[in-house]
Amino acid sequence: MTHQDRQNGKTLSGLGRHGGPWFWVAIAAPLLGGALLVWQAWTLAGVLGDAIEGGTPIETLGPGIVLIAGLLLARAALGAIGERAGTAAAEAIKLNVRATLFSHLLARSPRAAEQPQSGAVSAAVIDQVDALDGFFARYLPAMIQATVLPVAFGAIILPLDWLAGLLFLVTAPLIPVFMALAGWGAQIATNKQARALSLLSGRFADRLRGMLTLKLFGRAEAETAGIVAASDELRRRTLRVLRIAFLSSAVLEFFAALGVAGVALYVGLTFIDYLQLRSTPLTLELGLFLLLMAPEVYNPLRLLAAHYHDRAAARAAIGEIEAQLGSLPSSTLPLEERSTILGRASGALGLTLAALTLRTPDVARVVLDDVDLTVAAGEHVAILGPSGIGKSTLLEAIARLRLHEGAIALDRRPLADWPEAELRARVTMLGQRPRIFAGSMAHNIALARPGASAADVRRAAERAHVASFADALPEGLDTLLGEGGLGLSGGQAQRIALARIYLRDAGLVLLDEPTAHLDAELEQVVLDDLKQYARGRTLVVATHSPAVASRMDKAWRMAGERLLPMPVPARKDRSVA
Amino acid sequence: MKSLLAFRRLFMVQVRGFALALLLSLVALAAGVALLGTSGWFITAAALTSAGLAFNLFVPSALVRGFSFIRILARYGERLSGHDATLRLLADLRGWLFGRLFPRLPLTDRSLRHGDLVSRLTADVDALDTAFLVAIGPVIAALIIGAALTGLLGWLLPGAAPIYAVCFAFAVLAVPAGLVLGSRGAGHDVISRAAEARAAVLDGIEGHADLTIFGVLGTAQAEFARTTQRLAQAKARLATLAAIAGFAVQALAALALAGSLWRGLDALGVGAVDGPVLAGLLLAIAGSFEATSVIVRSVGKLTTAIAAAERLTAIAESPVVIADPATPSALPADFTVDVEDITFSYPDGPPVLSNLNLSITPGEHIAITGPSGSGKSSLLTLLLRLAEPQMGRISLGGTPLPALRQADVHTAMALLSQDSPLFNDTIRANLLIARPDADDAALWAALTSAGIEPFVRALPRGLDTLIGEGSRTVSAGQARRLCLARVLLSPAKILLLDEPTTGLDRPAEVAFFETLHQAAEGRTVIVVTHAAIPEGPMDRVLTMRNGRLD
Repeated sequence: MTHQDRQNGKTLSGLGRHGGPWFWVAIAAPLLGGALLVWQAWTLAGVLGDAIEGGTPIETLGPGIVLIAGLLLARAALGAIGERAGTAAAEAIKLNVRATLFSHLLARSPRAAEQPQSGAVSAAVIDQVDALDGFFARYLPAMIQATVLPVAFGAIILPLDWLAGLLFLVTAPLIPVFMALAGWGAQIATNKQARALSLLSGRFADRLRGMLTLKLFGRAEAETAGIVAASDELRRRTLRVLRIAFLSSAVLEFFAALGVAGVALYVGLTFIDYLQLRSTPLTLELGLFLLLMAPEVYNPLRLLAAHYHDRAAARAAIGEIEAQLGSLPSSTLPLEERSTILGRASGALGLTLAALTLRTPDVARVVLDDVDLTVAAGEHVAILGPSGIGKSTLLEAIARLRLHEGAIALDRRPLADWPEAELRARVTMLGQRPRIFAGSMAHNIALARPGASAADVRRAAERAHVASFADALPEGLDTLLGEGGLGLSGGQAQRIALARIYLRDAGLVLLDEPTAHLDAELEQVVLDDLKQYARGRTLVVATHSPAVASRMDKAWRMAGERLLPMPVPARKDRSVA
Repeated sequence: MKSLLAFRRLFMVQVRGFALALLLSLVALAAGVALLGTSGWFITAAALTSAGLAFNLFVPSALVRGFSFIRILARYGERLSGHDATLRLLADLRGWLFGRLFPRLPLTDRSLRHGDLVSRLTADVDALDTAFLVAIGPVIAALIIGAALTGLLGWLLPGAAPIYAVCFAFAVLAVPAGLVLGSRGAGHDVISRAAEARAAVLDGIEGHADLTIFGVLGTAQAEFARTTQRLAQAKARLATLAAIAGFAVQALAALALAGSLWRGLDALGVGAVDGPVLAGLLLAIAGSFEATSVIVRSVGKLTTAIAAAERLTAIAESPVVIADPATPSALPADFTVDVEDITFSYPDGPPVLSNLNLSITPGEHIAITGPSGSGKSSLLTLLLRLAEPQMGRISLGGTPLPALRQADVHTAMALLSQDSPLFNDTIRANLLIARPDADDAALWAALTSAGIEPFVRALPRGLDTLIGEGSRTVSAGQARRLCLARVLLSPAKILLLDEPTTGLDRPAEVAFFETLHQAAEGRTVIVVTHAAIPEGPMDRVLTMRNGRLD
């Protein structure tokens, strides 16, 4: 077991506290079941002993049979309750882990340089967290049973028959020791094997992901043969390991069988007086009881062995989660709802950039070098330049979504001094690739102002020309979007994002290519509405469209890491291309 | 279930391995039942014997020991052979899936780049390969054990046989079947709600900036909590059903045992059965229900396997959209590309390209620029015949693309797509994909042309450096250039480069176009980019706007 593995194990155990009362029910129910089992075996042995040895007529044995049936049913019920409680505890724990992970994901700044890959994150939050299931629902209860029950059974049997009791008390705790001995080498080998398996499974996923490339290079047959050969090679290696690994469970079975056979022989030999180790004669009742209990002493251990892989899976899952998202935080962060203070202060904001230097997120490239710019409150300006030059980076920096060097000030107040809530209430932005969330169109728009009335949403949708295509759909604004929903064209998505802006009362509006996917005619209409909304607000638009720039008060051109003032392009008539 | 049967053929290939595993598991189960039965009979008989004189001790004690060891060996063998057969099946399944997927690429409805689909396919294959080991095998084994014990009871204790048979059959067949049927809805809910939760995570990550801008992180958090809560509820419902089923099996076992005990004592009273046999049979009955306990637990795996089989068959049996002609024409020697008046749109989408015309003479280097989303990449897709235009015609050296084998079209053209992947393998292996017979000199030449040669030279293991999964060990820009080197290495006469300079700074970008000019001399080059094209290296620069070139 590596240090990392132990560490993961500790993290896991720490999570148990979120399981609540169900966790304790899951642990207590099987223990209670074990107690009933002793009673049941005793009763069954008594009934059989009385009937066979004592010749008791069946009529007087009736209550015994009913009691046995009742005990069996009670144990079945306890088993079901324990299992169900285990799942409830595991679900509660998973709920907590997911909420914690998600809140910490959202709490980190969007500026952070290394954003985790969204696919890997969703796999960690959904799939890996699911792999914690077995550990809490099955492994932990099984482990506690295996610790308590064999010893308890042995202790109960010891005063009844010292030899059998001793046999159980000695062999049961020894089994894990022998398993460990047999498993020692196997564990290392298994770990190696697990890595090989995950490599192969990684290769499979890797090749699947790049399958189209392989097809285009004419590698279809070669890769198909390759994956079969690699799987087969893995099989050969796995089997070599499994041959040893299964030995440890064979050891367990061996001892269980030895225990049962040993008790049977001992009892039998005592009956026919070959062995006389007892001070009192052995009754059939007691003999049967010992025989009935023999397999039960070893059963909890077998159960534990069966759920052993749940522990390994959970540890691996914790490792994977921490590899993707950093060490597991201990509690959920409450995230502030920042739009609660909407509309307290209003009015246009002035913007000043002084000696501003910006780099691409990987710091490889300077986008802007030592740039100064002043935009007066209420002014509408355009930033022009070919795509890829860094216009979006500039807007994101102004919206405090990116790191920068030099100074950015809003209303002469440095950007860093703005409290997050106030900044978000006063500054809004339309990004180049706005996210369309899973949910209805109306829900997507209302996101900008939680609690917005249907009428407000409708008005914003009309103003952003969303209604024009939404109304053509059977469910209008209630049409579902996002993963698994209706796919939108780039222009439609952009207009939905624009409708979000219209729900805000911001002093500074940052727009990144707001009309990129629109045809010239619609572009003009959208611009008319935009201008109307922006009256009394400061507007900064990044664009490569002269048609957009021509509607602004001032324009700057981004070139060679500088911002150069330029004349506002002349406004052509509406048929502009 | 029907789709699971579709994999019959793959299962049948490994039938001997699975049969061996099944046989051994039967032996192990039977030995376990016999061990308990013999022991019960043995000690009861011994107790009834007053002295050791008349009792044959040797046979029963040998049986007890024998059954113990048979059971251990059989278990060991069963697990080994079962895993062997399963791993063989896994290899076959993967090969089968690859073989089915290649002709169907690109999938019309979903992209394989979508991480979700890839992880689902991987999980589906894994779910299917264990279907036998965890679900099908135990049911068959339990049925055989139950039938055998019923037969034994019919002979020795006829009164108990019907009770046992009915209880056992219910436990093995009716309860699991009921669980499968009953949990269908809940299982479906689990899957769809897990998808919702996944979407919520994706929304949180990809929409992080939007959520921050609007200051609604709290709303997103509450919504995620609601989604996961719903997922947990569905799971809990499934667990309740499984717990009820587990209880039912145990209750049936209780009924069988108590009923047999009742009937057995009755028979004992009238002397129809003797004590030792009764004790042995009762212990055997208790032991036989060990076979049923795993079944309920594995039903969940069976439903997963069925769902996995459904999804895999849905993909594997989807129609091949673009098929090769029955009698393909030979690949022409002339590589003139003619695009005549094509109109193209994605299913249910607006037109992407309309009435587009383009002719490219062999060896010509052209660049196509235009805003993103204007259809530049779609044109490349059509040239490779990964999709068909609704109208118009594309031909290669005068032969229309549909008359050629797709594989031939792909030998003629090499694509650097926007999302070209590097594989989790050595740099050498990644390059050789384009030309398996290339020597080291050719590899280095390609790396030099792609401007990545100094980087690879500086690596301690050079060409044999492993590129991690998702190309984690190289930067995005380096990965891009390695992909470019791969395309340059390919023997294709036409190179299609989609945004080849992403991740390069401006000087490197300009240098790239200069290098490309020389490296691809004599080959046709079509570059799609929104970078500014420097004067000189390109023969023609066209602009794509509203689905047309001008």
